[in-house]
Amino acid sequence: MFELMRSISIDVANGRASGAAFVPGDHSLFADHFPGKSLLPGSLILELAAQVAGPLVEEFAKTQLQIERWAILGMVRDARFLQPVFLPASLEITAAISRSQSSNVSASVTVTVSGERVMQAELVMMMLESSAEWAVAIEARNDRLARWKEAS
Amino acid sequence: MSTRDTSAEVAVLVRQTLALPESEPVQPGQLFFYDLGFTSMDLLDLLFRLEQHFKIEIPEGTIYHLARGELAEAEFAEDAVLTEAGRQRLMALLYDTPREIFPARIHATTLPRFCTVGAITRLVDHKLAASSWDKRNV
Repeated sequence: MFELMRSISIDVANGRASGAAFVPGDHSLFADHFPGKSLLPGSLILELAAQVAGPLVEEFAKTQLQIERWAILGMVRDARFLQPVFLPASLEITAAISRSQSSNVSASVTVTVSGERVMQAELVMMMLESSAEWAVAIEARNDRLARWKEAS
Repeated sequence: MSTRDTSAEVAVLVRQTLALPESEPVQPGQLFFYDLGFTSMDLLDLLFRLEQHFKIEIPEGTIYHLARGELAEAEFAEDAVLTEAGRQRLMALLYDTPREIFPARIHATTLPRFCTVGAITRLVDHKLAASSWDKRNV
């Protein structure tokens, strides 16, 4: 999933982020979804949106709430899949903080393709204390994030 | 005086949270975590539903602040564990929760675990009354 993200830009002062993803039509993941007409599953659209919302809420929590935690997608609320996303497709993702407290931060996310809104939802990110066993995963995530930010 | 049946509305939202059928009874005396099988995510989901439905805000730590009242922070909890005075205040607030449910050490972050459906209904009534008072005095 991470390989599909292209760039991310975070405006933490205003609680907003935007990102771009590209999903090819010939990815093996979509071979049977569906043969000859690749369609991006809604769950993957949500996951891509969470890739933008996660870093946003972590930076927001760090700078605005003074807590340094690891954001994990905990709940999806009011998700609407407005248009099918046929592949290949370039997705533009925006996220805005809608509610924040120390245990969870919510972000309203919108995904568009060619200027058309295809999905909107509220993602509730659970803010977890990181432990030593997460160190490698967090380091890899930080490397990815740095690359995505550089590309924006 | 409001004729709103908050208790019935809360019961509907509890059923929606757990995807229970309408025929499933939800009673004021039921404990969320012990009787209804709630998880912390279910409780968070219910809080979102309550906020949206009743147009109120229930921020993190609401039970803690209501239980503490005017008591000084240090008298209510030490190192995030309730003192004896804090424990008594919590049990007075959650008077319909069976006493044996409360453990010897009550961590400050676990207070919602001890709530009954009735306690959350009272919380909603309290928030609605405060909201109504705020509107009248703007």
